[in-house]
Amino acid sequence: MPKHIVSGLKYLTAVELIRQGLSQKEVAKILEMDRSTVSHYLNGRNLSWNSIEVAEIITKFCPKDFLTLTYALLNDSEKTRIIVKTCLKENYQAKVEETCIGCGLCADTCLMNAIVLDDLKAQIDSNWCCGCLMCRDVCPTNSIKILEVEDGC
Amino acid sequence: MELKVNQDNCLGCGVCVVACPVNVSISPEVAGGHGSKTEETIMMVENGVIKLFSEDKCTKCGTCQMFCPTDAIWLE
Amino acid sequence: MVANTKEVIDQDICVTRSSADEKREWSYKDELCVGCGICADICPVDAIELEPIGGIVRTGAEKSKISIDENKCVLCGMCSVGCPADALDLKIDDKSIKEMDSYPKLIKSAEIDDETCVFCKACETACPREAITIARSLPDRSKLVTGEIEIDKETCIDCGICEEMCPADAIIMEHHVPTSVDPTVSADIKVDKDKCVYCLICKKSCPVDAIKAVCRTCSYGDYDLNPEDAEIEGSSFIDEDLCVNCGWCQEICPVDAATVKKAFKGTLTIDQDTCTTCGACVDICPCDVLSFPKPAESGQIVEKVFKDEKYCIYCGACEKVCPVDAIDVERTDVDYTPTKSNSWKNKMESLKS
Repeated sequence: MPKHIVSGLKYLTAVELIRQGLSQKEVAKILEMDRSTVSHYLNGRNLSWNSIEVAEIITKFCPKDFLTLTYALLNDSEKTRIIVKTCLKENYQAKVEETCIGCGLCADTCLMNAIVLDDLKAQIDSNWCCGCLMCRDVCPTNSIKILEVEDGC
Repeated sequence: MELKVNQDNCLGCGVCVVACPVNVSISPEVAGGHGSKTEETIMMVENGVIKLFSEDKCTKCGTCQMFCPTDAIWLE
Repeated sequence: MVANTKEVIDQDICVTRSSADEKREWSYKDELCVGCGICADICPVDAIELEPIGGIVRTGAEKSKISIDENKCVLCGMCSVGCPADALDLKIDDKSIKEMDSYPKLIKSAEIDDETCVFCKACETACPREAITIARSLPDRSKLVTGEIEIDKETCIDCGICEEMCPADAIIMEHHVPTSVDPTVSADIKVDKDKCVYCLICKKSCPVDAIKAVCRTCSYGDYDLNPEDAEIEGSSFIDEDLCVNCGWCQEICPVDAATVKKAFKGTLTIDQDTCTTCGACVDICPCDVLSFPKPAESGQIVEKVFKDEKYCIYCGACEKVCPVDAIDVERTDVDYTPTKSNSWKNKMESLKS
């Protein structure tokens, strides 16, 4: 069953990436699949509609659950962050306050690899932020603010 | 660390009572060797042996242990 | 999730956090800790506690002077930057943050200029942390004096008085029990001219005037001595881990070869009325600032505890250990390298009281 859900999630990601204008070849490379499998996916073959429905429900979970569940299923951080970022409809803007002490706990926690430290301050790449709030919860000085925004930044 | 006493070893000399800086600040007469008049002090000699009263006031400075001739009071 | 692991070896502690991207390792060396508690004060998440340092230091208890809750620690490294004794360190991917420019660092140092140093070892003796080693090689004693010495073996009665009297152990005899074949008490008498200082004690003490000796330095002055032969060579070494930059070496050096830069400036005040002379501060002070004065004559009233702030690093360990709050340490200035992070700047400023 987990395998089927992963297929469903990859299908949703593939469809969205094609919609964004990527070629089948590029999609295959990103998702590390055969090009023919991508083609099958897009034609609705080799895939049960049930898996897609379950995957769709998962993408509508709160971002933290979507992210952690996807990571648990794939156990691959690079593919997880691509699937989550592609399937998420919402955009987020992250802000780090001056009170940040640069402990790096957020960077270690972030499954989207969106955080790096620069001059003892966390820098969050809003393009990759999925709004899971795990960094905010782990921050010892409450220095992280995550806002949901209307469109991409 | 905790303040411990062994009454079997204690000679009842009262050196620890007088040496303890906290005791002296609680009850100045202790410094004169006249014995404490209050149970507010950390330790006192009672019936010839040392007894702890307000050990929660101990700052664990180790002075009593340094002065005790028979290792009857110590930090552990 | 990210979890810290703690390892305790004797009194030393190590906390690590590893992720795919970096490894952070916090370490504490109890031997270097002076018990000032700055780490506990500066910790942004209250993960560090200062243990009862008085009891630990004075009773020799095998116990760490600080404790850390590894579940609270976020491995930010602020404690290691504030530590005046370098007992704490944070390494990120095996590199100490003290070597990274982005982190602030206390500006403190101690140096001995070997060019100026006369290798008298005063600093080595005075250093309260035993951080200084002075290695020196002394000139050959024989090169500093010249003279002549000769023992007339015909006259010599092998009494051994010169051998016993010689302060430089330069006369060696071969004593033995006489036999009918060889009815003497010594086979030979020799003078080691490398050891002889031509003091003429042997000559003066010989009961039969068998020794002819002359000291040329005394008779003709210093003219035939080569000054290069009298040079003392050496080198100094300060163990930076042990050094707390107290300034004892600088103050005691007779030739101003030692230079110490302290990170903190401040004041140390002792309330002589409150003090009960328990001696905890005297025992804990890493810099031998405090001592019990002895009255010059009986009946003279002296201070209970004497201080000389020349040697004080204003770490505050004495204030923390005092059971009756008789000591007040104020830090008025903290010297540190710049950082772009405001939170770190604020923390460094918070070290001022």
